[in-house]
Amino acid sequence: MSITLEKSANQTKKEAAMSTSSLINPSMESMMSETKPKPIIEIDNVDFYYGASKALHGISLNIEPKKVTAFIGPSGCGKSTLLRCINRMNDLVDVARVGAGQFRISGVDIYHPSVDVIELRKRVGMVFQKSNPFPKSIYENIVYGLRIQGVSDKKVLDEVVEKSLRGAALWEEVKDRLHDSALGLSGGQMQRICIARAIAVEPEIILMDEPCSALDPIATAKVEELIHELKNKFTIVIVTHNMQQAGRCSDQTAFFYLGKLIEMDNTEKIFTNPKQQQTEDYITGRFG
Amino acid sequence: MSIEEPISKNAPRVKMPIADALRSIQRPKFMGITFDDAMHYFFRGNATVSILVLFLIILFLFKEGGEFFGQNTQNLEIYRKAGLEYVDIVRSRVDDHRSLERFLGDIRIQEFKNQNENAEALAAFDASVERFSAAIDGYQGFVSEYADIAKELKEKYKVGLDLEVAKKNFQKEGKFEESSKIEIPVVDFEAETKVYRDSLTQFKALNETYQAEVQSIVDSFPPMPTAELQPRLDKFRDLVKIQRDNVAKLEGDLLLWDWKKPVGWSESFTSFVFGRNWLTASFWQDWYGIVPLFVGSLMIAVTAILIAVPFAIGAAIYVNQVASAREQNIIKPYIEFVSAVPSVVWGFFGIAVVGQLIRTFSEQGVVSWVPFFPISERLNIATASCLLAIMAIPTIFSLAEDAIQNVPKAYTESSLALGATKFQTIWIIMIPSALSGIVSAIILGLGRVIGETMVVLLCSGGRIKIPDFSSGLGALFQPVHTMTGIIAQEMGEVVNGSIHYRALFMVGIVLFFISLALNYAAQQVVKRYKISIG
Ligand SMILES: Nc1ncnc2c1ncn2[C@@H]1O[C@H](COP(=O)(O)OP(=O)(O)OP(=O)(O)O)[C@@H](O)[C@H]1O
Ligand SMILES: [Mg+2]
Repeated sequence: MSITLEKSANQTKKEAAMSTSSLINPSMESMMSETKPKPIIEIDNVDFYYGASKALHGISLNIEPKKVTAFIGPSGCGKSTLLRCINRMNDLVDVARVGAGQFRISGVDIYHPSVDVIELRKRVGMVFQKSNPFPKSIYENIVYGLRIQGVSDKKVLDEVVEKSLRGAALWEEVKDRLHDSALGLSGGQMQRICIARAIAVEPEIILMDEPCSALDPIATAKVEELIHELKNKFTIVIVTHNMQQAGRCSDQTAFFYLGKLIEMDNTEKIFTNPKQQQTEDYITGRFG
Repeated sequence: MSIEEPISKNAPRVKMPIADALRSIQRPKFMGITFDDAMHYFFRGNATVSILVLFLIILFLFKEGGEFFGQNTQNLEIYRKAGLEYVDIVRSRVDDHRSLERFLGDIRIQEFKNQNENAEALAAFDASVERFSAAIDGYQGFVSEYADIAKELKEKYKVGLDLEVAKKNFQKEGKFEESSKIEIPVVDFEAETKVYRDSLTQFKALNETYQAEVQSIVDSFPPMPTAELQPRLDKFRDLVKIQRDNVAKLEGDLLLWDWKKPVGWSESFTSFVFGRNWLTASFWQDWYGIVPLFVGSLMIAVTAILIAVPFAIGAAIYVNQVASAREQNIIKPYIEFVSAVPSVVWGFFGIAVVGQLIRTFSEQGVVSWVPFFPISERLNIATASCLLAIMAIPTIFSLAEDAIQNVPKAYTESSLALGATKFQTIWIIMIPSALSGIVSAIILGLGRVIGETMVVLLCSGGRIKIPDFSSGLGALFQPVHTMTGIIAQEMGEVVNGSIHYRALFMVGIVLFFISLALNYAAQQVVKRYKISIG
């Protein structure tokens, strides 16, 4: 548990301390590899369709709280589709529907008619592949989520802006230009604005769909560092095509192929000793 | 041949070595021009021709219209030299007096109603009104007498001018003999206008009688039988005071009049641009002031846009954001179909249905509290506006829908992903992002409406008069005439090259500039506010 790829010893120590404190009985620590905390997201035997074509085939997996889970797999295998199911963004696609199975968050079936999708999306934030700040000022971008919830107290908003921007490791860079357009920032900064915007509403879960695919290595490193920080407060699910990235910043990794979940395990295990041949082929780049 | 063909088809294609292929130009040529070149020249030619034609049209417009100012200067010169201006100075006082009479008339109508149509209760009031009406008779008499003199002088002068033109024409054609035969009578204005200067002496006496008479009328005016109407009578007293001062100044104003004072271009220009009268083929004096037409066009267009915008933008948002695919497939073609209906059909519909409907509505008891209801004219600004709104909706709808469509989907998605409702997303993200497009859609809609001719010609009522704004929104139910309408109506009847003809061209030029400005504004809005920062 305490070994993750390319992590500094310092970070690892901190993490170990944290997971320990979250356990009820310290004596259980030795059993940790077998006993998992109660999952926050449960995906239960899900079939998903775009019109007549089936995009997901009987997917079942659990995502643990305050962990980073990475979805990997070749293009078109359904990673984004699955991710967008978790906050029901697929509702926006006319032909999309869940054919069978359940998505549960904290035990609640999120596709049940009694579930308020607006509330769901407040609790399950999303960061998209293409950074897409609104054509508004940096400040207004960050507070958007709060404004629509009816918060208008300037003091509260100011605080949230600073906290979120600090959280997204952007405060120092933009604190003097909060009221400039967010579209004048660099690509990496814009992506961190989007992350800051997502964490400003304090969700439980943050979904990230290839958040670094348009960024240069330095910006990528910053975002990865950020993901690492955010793990303390949020559950993160990230889709990535970058194997090193999955290795560096996730705790769990799920490998998909042609709409099926091939394998899911601790990241370290997936990358060093996968059970399935397909997984190994993909990770090592031998995939055809 | 038929036997050989399959052989040649099956024969392996011999490929030229690359170096040879690059050097050999094999495209077929006709008179040294390849097909590509020909296309190139063809389209370039087309573009050039259309630009040229457009340029020539504009040139023609300006050439025909530009001479208006010269002719109008002459028009105004006659007006001054012949003394029509002098008479009109006096007449303006008489007109003011008459409008005060109408003011009293309005009060009387009210009072008559209040007294249950009993004329006896109003006997004292009526007597005073009659006295007031008679008070201006002296001036009225002066106007009638001197108007005839002025008209006569004008005719005399005009005959001379016409002969002069004829003489010039002969000279141009080289017929010097004929031209020398024409004798132009010289009008001695100094002598002819002496009659006006001599008349000045009358005004002292006239004024004295007028002041005394009006004063005594106002002082002895009986109190209104209904107390509520008393304030209006007091208002009348105030107005009379102004009028009396005005009349007292008349003599001074007349002294300033001088037939020799030249009419400048600026005067000719202002009488067009700021002129409040459009009066043609008149026995007295023709006026070519664009203001009533401009105001008519503007009021109709703005009202139409105000009516159309909520519907068009609302429909655009609904169709793009809310409607199902099936609804879209019904609504969009339906709205766009509206623009396929010929405008004359709308005009017809306006006369037959809308105008009548509005008037019938205004006569209903439920709306009798509205001060300007019931309306008297079936065809008015509101009628024309309603129809133009229908015609503007497709334009605004289509353009606004495009603008909304062009808002990046990512904005909507990320807003929804932050837990915004659909309505919040539309209101806070989408509309502001599409605002530049929406505004330019509205501006272009305005352009479409201002340029529309048939409907306004048929439905606006055709009265060349600035609406009376004193009744507030009631002005919207008065008939007007428009810039487009006047051109369509009068162009066929005017004498080619006459001042009236040129004036209509000037109106056309003004329209041209308005369209140009609106299009430019729409472009600028799109360019400058492409991405709005909230
Ligand atoms: N809106 C849509 N309508 C119809 N089919 C879709 C839609 N979106 C995705 N699909 C299909 O669903 C399948 C899974 O797509 P998805 O976007 O989830 O793949 P992905 O794993 O995210 O790929 P990538 O790595 O390229 O982003 C693909 O076959 C795709 O063609
Ligand atoms: Mg994807």
